[in-house]
Amino acid sequence: MGTAPAELPAPPTGRQVVFSVGTERFALPLSAVREVVPPLPPFARVPRAGGAVRGVMNLRGRVVAVVDLAELVGLPPQPLLSGHGQVLILDREKRAMGLLIGVVLGVELLAPAAEGGEGVVAGVAVGRAGAVTLLRVEPLAAAAAALFGGG
Amino acid sequence: MDLSRYLSLFVGEAAEHVAGLSHGLVALEQSVSTGSDAGPVIDGIFRHVHSVKGMSASMQLDGIATLAHRAEDLVDLYRRHLARAEPAAVDALLATCDALQEMIAAAALGQKPAPDPALLDRLGALTRQALDGRAAQAEPAPGPARAPVPPPAPPLAPVLPAEPEPALKPGPRRLEVEVEVAAACPVPAVRAFLVVKKLAAFGSLVGSTPTVEELKAGRLPGKKLTVVLESADPLDRIERALSQISDLGAVVIRAQDGQVSTPARAPAAPAQPAAAESSRTVRVRTEVLDGFVDTVGELLIATARIREVGRALPPGLRPLLDEGVDRLHAIVKELHGQLMGVRMTPLAVVTERLPRIARDVARKLGRQVEVEVQGAEIELDRAILEELSDPLLHLLRNAVDHGIEPPHLRLLAGKPATGRITISARRDRDRVVLEVADDGKGMSAGRLREAAVRRGALDAEQAAALTEREALALATLPGVSTAEEVTDVSGRGVGLDAVRKTLETVGGTLELESTRGLGTRITLRLPLTVAVQPVLLVRVGEEVLGLPIAKVHGAVQVLYGALDRSRGAPVLPYDGELVPVHDLAALLGFDSAGRDERAVVVADGADGRIGLVVDGLLGQHEAVLKPLGPPLQAVSGLSAVTVLGTGRPVFILDVTRLLAA
Repeated sequence: MGTAPAELPAPPTGRQVVFSVGTERFALPLSAVREVVPPLPPFARVPRAGGAVRGVMNLRGRVVAVVDLAELVGLPPQPLLSGHGQVLILDREKRAMGLLIGVVLGVELLAPAAEGGEGVVAGVAVGRAGAVTLLRVEPLAAAAAALFGGG
Repeated sequence: MDLSRYLSLFVGEAAEHVAGLSHGLVALEQSVSTGSDAGPVIDGIFRHVHSVKGMSASMQLDGIATLAHRAEDLVDLYRRHLARAEPAAVDALLATCDALQEMIAAAALGQKPAPDPALLDRLGALTRQALDGRAAQAEPAPGPARAPVPPPAPPLAPVLPAEPEPALKPGPRRLEVEVEVAAACPVPAVRAFLVVKKLAAFGSLVGSTPTVEELKAGRLPGKKLTVVLESADPLDRIERALSQISDLGAVVIRAQDGQVSTPARAPAAPAQPAAAESSRTVRVRTEVLDGFVDTVGELLIATARIREVGRALPPGLRPLLDEGVDRLHAIVKELHGQLMGVRMTPLAVVTERLPRIARDVARKLGRQVEVEVQGAEIELDRAILEELSDPLLHLLRNAVDHGIEPPHLRLLAGKPATGRITISARRDRDRVVLEVADDGKGMSAGRLREAAVRRGALDAEQAAALTEREALALATLPGVSTAEEVTDVSGRGVGLDAVRKTLETVGGTLELESTRGLGTRITLRLPLTVAVQPVLLVRVGEEVLGLPIAKVHGAVQVLYGALDRSRGAPVLPYDGELVPVHDLAALLGFDSAGRDERAVVVADGADGRIGLVVDGLLGQHEAVLKPLGPPLQAVSGLSAVTVLGTGRPVFILDVTRLLAA
């Protein structure tokens, strides 16, 4: 063990939730996803919140902030509307946040074929239906949280 | 064996003992100065120190145990009337208290803190001094005098002093240990488990009733434990090890060879007055309670939702549904009430440490102060208590720093040299009234007028027109203070205005009375609970927002374009003053409906009244407030969120911070 090379942060492998956003496919670790729900109207807008924040909705009494994943990854923005797309609720302690996505395609065992750099994208993998961009949940949630002001 | 699951239990209990210790020490100092009987106080102090030592030793937190042990040695001298408590010793013990508190906090994070060697030396030196002082007074003893207490000079790291090895070490024999856990102990099975664990160190366990598995499951019938083990150790050694575990009642150790040890229990024992009561209580983590409140809040909202849906039913079906919903609503309301009752916490939680702090501050400033707390048993919602802690501390420091005069000035003014601060609480219908009164020099209305004019809050003429009471209220404006010198005790700039703002966030108010030369009285009025608050719902474009009714003065319908303007911004004549008007839509980054016919809500902003232009008033609503978690808590100008019966989330605005960002 002592002579082993310094360990790099492990690339996200294992079970990933694969979903569409616009015309592309993305994946987040299954362990980071609490549940997937349709947009639940009525929505309320969040005062003073930046671009990709679409609003809040009431998920069984919990008020969840919804952020457009398309806009976060540089794709054309999607609106938060009843019957359009799905909201992926992140499983993070005390953090009530959902990501607006297209539609969940399934759960697959994926390992990145090409390593991504720093930041939101962890790499690209070959899934059942083709290329899938693997996302890192921590930087993604941090980028989303930064839209609410205060850093 | 894994002790981590008992850690939070340890942290909670140990912190309580340290708080009790701190309290006891201040009381000790007071009784020393008044010459009253300090016996019961010292017994209490000893019991707390002893408990901390025992429980930290069982948690293998040897650093905490060592420090507590040192303190115990010193206190033991007072307890046995072998020495008298000197101010220097009380100081050292208070420093020990602080150190223990920090170490317990570190232990809560999974660390094993080491004691400060300087503090250990200080305690050791004081113990030696106390003994030497006694030795000097005592008659010269014939022969080598046996010290009445083992001198604690060498570090007592091995908690058990080494015993002379017997010539022939006896082989292991079978021992039966019977332990009864004190009735006052909140978690008897955990105590019993610690006993088994401790005994296991002395040899091999043969068995126990109840078994270890049953103990882990929390079962201890009759609070009695019997352990059979094979051990070669002397009985008194085992007995001493068990004495480190607090909350044990009777301990009987029987050996196969007929030897019996029934030690007298240390004063840690069960004679606590609350014994009968606490045996029927459970400890619940506060987050669990918060979770219940959230869930019941959601029940209230869900009930409102059902009622809303019922409106769409054909009239013939509605009475049945309404009846059911009414009943459901009544039950949920009752549940909510009961839950709020459970969350009620005595004021003592925040007032307990105040006498100690007053003492420290007074010492630093060369004042003499006595603090009396009345009504500490009065209960408030936990959330309000948490908000109250800092303001109370601030008021107390103010009273010592700016209220109470130095002793010589007090004597000149014909007052006793020791100043008196009274903190008293009482219930007044659905509010709690809390007063902080001192018999110090009082505040000068004239000075406050001058200070307010200097700050530009008023012009000289306005200031002169104020009544005495109004002038005193100036002290709660930002930056107005009559403190002649700024000391590091009360700090600069943050004064009564900060206290007032904190109180207002939980729906409280602050009033000030003062008589020059006789003292100052500050009265706080607080709601008992915060979770349900009346809000005014307003419409901005398509959005609905809530304003706390407590902050709202009134609302008027206006034609926006027809409002008077001053320096380019609209103003509204209201109640004899001109109120600056802001467009709420613009403040929030929303679009307004854009019609000219709108409403202005007049509310309390950070610097006086402000008018907020909205597109419509939707009426008052009893809102179940949910605190904002991340990421929404980062948005400035929001204080909470609620959900209407229609399921619509509505943000509650923090009016005082709306203009800030």
